[in-house]
Amino acid sequence: MTKTRVAVLSGFGINCETETMAAFEMAGGNPQKVHVNKLVKGDLNLDNYHIMAVPGGFSFGDHLGSGRLLGNRLRFGLRDQVRRFVRAGKPVIGICNGFQVLVKMGLLPGDEEVTLTQTASLALNDSAHYENRWATLEFDSKSPCIWTKGLTRIRVPVRHGEGKFVTKDRELLDRWAQTGQLVAKYVDPSTEYPGATDQVLPYPISPNQSWRNIAGVCDPTGLVFGLMPHPEAYHSTWLSPDWTREGDIEHGRAPSITIFRNAVEYSLQCRKET
Amino acid sequence: MNNNVLRVDVLPRIGSGLIDSRAISTKKILPKEIEINVKEIRTSLGYTIQGDLAKEERENAAKDLFSDPIIEHYSLDGSIAAGILPDLGHSDITIQVGFKPGVTDNRAMAAEDGLRTLFPEKKMNVASTISYHFWFEENIPDTEPIIALLHNPMLEQCAILDSDKRMENLIPFPILPAQKKRESETVDLEVDDDELLEISERGLLALNLQEMKAIQSHYRDPAVRRTREELGLPPHAPTDAELECLAQTWSEHCSHKIFAAKIHHRDTETGESSTIDSLFKTHIMKPTLDIQKEVDWLLSIFHDNSGVIAWNENWSLCMKAETHNSPSALDPFGGAMTGIVGVNRDILGTGLGARPIANTDVFCFGPPDYSGNIPKGLFHPSRVFRGVHAGVRAGGNESGIPTVNGAIIFDERYLGKPLVYCGTVGIMPRTLPDGRESHDKTPTPGDIVYMVGGRVGFDGIHGATFSSLELTEESPSSAVQIGDPITQKKMLDMIIEARDEGLIQVITDNGAGGLSSSVGEMAELTGGADLDLAVVPLKQTGLSPWEILVSESQERMTVGVKPEDCESFELLAALHEVEATAVGKFTDSGAFVVRMGTDVVAHLPISFLHDGCPQLELESEWTPPIHAELILPELSQMGEVLSRLIARPNIASKEWWVRSYDHEVIAQSVIKPFCGANHDAPGDAAVIAPIQGQTQGAVISNGIIPRYSDIDAYAMTAASIDEALRNAVCVGVDLDLIAGLDNFCWPDPIESEKTPDGRYKLAQLVRANRALDEVCRAYKLPCISGKDSMKNDAKLHGEKISIPPTILFSLIGNHSDVRKAVSSDFKTPGDRIYLCGESHQELGASELAYMLRDETQGQSGIGARVPEIDTTRNLAMYRALTEAMQKSLVASAHDCSDGGLAVALSECCFGSDSGAQIDISAIMSDCDQIEPWGAMFGESLGRILVSVKAENKEAFENSMIGHACYSLGVVEEGDTISVTNGDIPLISTSMSTLRKAWKETLDGGGPQ
Repeated sequence: MTKTRVAVLSGFGINCETETMAAFEMAGGNPQKVHVNKLVKGDLNLDNYHIMAVPGGFSFGDHLGSGRLLGNRLRFGLRDQVRRFVRAGKPVIGICNGFQVLVKMGLLPGDEEVTLTQTASLALNDSAHYENRWATLEFDSKSPCIWTKGLTRIRVPVRHGEGKFVTKDRELLDRWAQTGQLVAKYVDPSTEYPGATDQVLPYPISPNQSWRNIAGVCDPTGLVFGLMPHPEAYHSTWLSPDWTREGDIEHGRAPSITIFRNAVEYSLQCRKET
Repeated sequence: MNNNVLRVDVLPRIGSGLIDSRAISTKKILPKEIEINVKEIRTSLGYTIQGDLAKEERENAAKDLFSDPIIEHYSLDGSIAAGILPDLGHSDITIQVGFKPGVTDNRAMAAEDGLRTLFPEKKMNVASTISYHFWFEENIPDTEPIIALLHNPMLEQCAILDSDKRMENLIPFPILPAQKKRESETVDLEVDDDELLEISERGLLALNLQEMKAIQSHYRDPAVRRTREELGLPPHAPTDAELECLAQTWSEHCSHKIFAAKIHHRDTETGESSTIDSLFKTHIMKPTLDIQKEVDWLLSIFHDNSGVIAWNENWSLCMKAETHNSPSALDPFGGAMTGIVGVNRDILGTGLGARPIANTDVFCFGPPDYSGNIPKGLFHPSRVFRGVHAGVRAGGNESGIPTVNGAIIFDERYLGKPLVYCGTVGIMPRTLPDGRESHDKTPTPGDIVYMVGGRVGFDGIHGATFSSLELTEESPSSAVQIGDPITQKKMLDMIIEARDEGLIQVITDNGAGGLSSSVGEMAELTGGADLDLAVVPLKQTGLSPWEILVSESQERMTVGVKPEDCESFELLAALHEVEATAVGKFTDSGAFVVRMGTDVVAHLPISFLHDGCPQLELESEWTPPIHAELILPELSQMGEVLSRLIARPNIASKEWWVRSYDHEVIAQSVIKPFCGANHDAPGDAAVIAPIQGQTQGAVISNGIIPRYSDIDAYAMTAASIDEALRNAVCVGVDLDLIAGLDNFCWPDPIESEKTPDGRYKLAQLVRANRALDEVCRAYKLPCISGKDSMKNDAKLHGEKISIPPTILFSLIGNHSDVRKAVSSDFKTPGDRIYLCGESHQELGASELAYMLRDETQGQSGIGARVPEIDTTRNLAMYRALTEAMQKSLVASAHDCSDGGLAVALSECCFGSDSGAQIDISAIMSDCDQIEPWGAMFGESLGRILVSVKAENKEAFENSMIGHACYSLGVVEEGDTISVTNGDIPLISTSMSTLRKAWKETLDGGGPQ
């Protein structure tokens, strides 16, 4: 069986492609850097990949709302390729700016028909500015999300100015909660697992004051996943903010690699079965 | 309103969990900075569009592009921009701010790109605006201070909208007045000396009489005249393009004339009288070249945009730091942003192109709480601080380059010119796939010259010459620009791919002096170049040839490409949506030839351009200054003194500011700006592991201590170097692979009517250079890059403000295994605390001395005993400590610098979120003449505060035998920091109270 080919999008101010590729490689995948224009111009085709990743960055400088312009490039320039990819049951991840892109283009939280209709957004943090700090995430164990299977909590850096997850219609939140789409939430690390709550946690445990502490969501199928924090930036144990306090730890890959490994293995499994 | 001008305005929705956080942060600033309270503020973003769109298309654009359907309202008639809001109705007053014509408008360019996605067939121009809508409790206050706070008239225009006519008064689309096509002109230099100087001053050329005369005599040379006649150029006089090109190349900014000068130095104390032929060659170049003979890792020094060192067999590292002081004084945001993206280009332009992987930012500002008069034309230091910070944040974050290390220094003398040091580290493969070594440029005559990236405009004309002059009210706005990080990021991605495909033969950035410098410098490599200005893509029409030649418009690289590779190079540029234009070719004709189409507008022999500038001769005289001694408080006051000292802006936590820089993109940061249990204790040096998943690291640190120049710039320089190295030692740097960067910022050191104390300032420079030479040789720390900015004076309404002589010393080094890196925070109660290094009664120019001086209105002096350096002793201790770290015997290590042992101890406790107990009697009995104030607050060099697990006590002590290493006490549970001198209690204080004071001073506050 060929290795899982991962299209890691690049260009226009995306800037986390290096570490996103590294994380997929550590997870056993075969990541390839794909400039968005190569897909638009037809030099490359998404159909030839098994996973698509939209990395973090500052696409188009975050002007006109983070993720908006790149989201439009995908929504208008790659509409058919993207819909075909998702409907074929292939995993997609958007991280930070990539998550903003997927939300703005309507792929997340999304719908069964993949209509690409925007139903949520990521507003300016309540602090009104960009921040880089570490947070703890808790995952919904009942979620259909294939990316977070087996994970309970991980620590991750957050690095964004617009990460407050909001919707226009609060009832949608209840629906998404029921279907397990509100998959990742900021959590107080001093609480026992499971400790996730809908009550907005104090700053900076919730760095952006997101509704219901939402840090990441998936689509109804659990294949498309996006989150504001950066699991790819914690691929090795020595990248945490306080690893020097952890005594004689066994150094190597960090727990957040599981996210990437889950998708790579899911893809392999699917191909084995067909 | 013009029929073809469309408006789309976007307002954040509020209520039910949504807020207008941009408005709320503005609301917070107003009472603090201009003492105005408002009832309500809202903000909206606007877009003015020139182009044809049907009504339905406008609706679609508003919905699909400009606004977010979930969180924003929009209007299409300008009503929101004018302060007629869908939720709150009419504002009391609305202030709309937009750019002046010709200023870089990034949001508008993004909007134009977005419109192209929606309507690929249509050509549209966009301008962006922002509107602030105010409601007041009572009467509308004087709006002038609000307007002054919300915009910078140098770059922006504003409209005040408060009447029924608010819609009519909206800012129109900014259009540059049509410019006549301007031809190249001739400048007659056959005039008297006064007139020569007048020509230099009028043209902002910053050339002195001797230099003007050198140019004059060049054009008297019969051979030169013959050549010019053949080319159809005016034979007896330069064209404006030639004169401008010479002024750029010979500017202090580009050619470092003071460092190249012949200096007659006298020392009234020692009786020395000597001549130094170039400080640069004598004290910077020579030591590095001598070190190069002993090591094999100095790959490229002194001739490229940054120096390159071999990091391992496969990769090399380079580093460069620049200052962007003058532009940052006039427009803090734009000036600082172009500073950071500009130094990124230095890295991209090193060798055949290096990838920037880390930024460092060091700023010097006036005090943020300054309450004295601010000369007209200057901004309050807190606004400079905010603007510079925002500019560097935008520049670094949007470029995807982490800010890993830095510092912020405050002193009243930075009111006139703030110092904005921006540094960048780059990485490149040692060899490219085609076998070439990437640190060497390989141009040959015939290679095509490409200009890549942004276009050329009126912005940025005379940046290099302007920064070589003092700042006055007449300083030109065209010398300031706003960067465009996304255009640059696209270019960066493209350049790195072009490098790996072997398409690049030579590359450099367009910074100071624009094309005149970039092409002119590279022409030296092949022996000539031929440049056609007529094909250079322009932002506006109407630029004359010399303006195209010297404009410093940002985001441009100049690249040499083999003719057979041009097609591939252009295809790659198209893929990345980067503009790349062939503008000339490299030759071996011996001259830099500039054309406008078929007309030659400049012909400059390479030898005259680069070697024709006459050497300056300068006078230097050193007499040591005399300062009164410190008046020290009672010993019982020590705890109180510490809690006041730790809250001083120079020592206080900068966390609120630093957290808004991305310091972790590229997933390589091992030792981050903050560490400890709560991630809020200050780190020393940065450690990064640049190759994903691998454990070899690089260490990046900075040293800066301008206070010491008040006593002696020698001490200032030595202390800066030691601080940078000490910081690096704290994290476990490999002492056999370290390199340095010297960045000098000086007040004008040339004696003149304006600068009567020029000899003293030059003597300070001489002493600084001697320190650099001696200390770098002793530490085997070669300087691989450097820069000087020699005119950091401001004269406003007769008042001259000069900065204290300031050196930033940056260090880049190897770390052989990042898993052994050490952080500054104490780890566990029970760990033993040691002070490594000797302490002396060195309180001269310490932070304590300045605090006491300020508190006593100058009665207490800054003292005389500034810390002295003993490089042999320090280096031996650093080596021993490094070995202990490699054996994993060291739990924490923190540098003792500003505020001495007392501050270092406190910061280590902040990291462990606990107390500590120490007894300093070991220090007292070991060192001569030391008193408790000196032991606790003195800033003696070469000292590192270390903690060690109890079980490693013996092994650690054994490894430090032969070096000053004092056992002081233990890390404790609980909250008390306690210091005694034997039986005498000195300090007993609450760690959390200290930490609160330390954090409060510069805290910008949390979310609303």
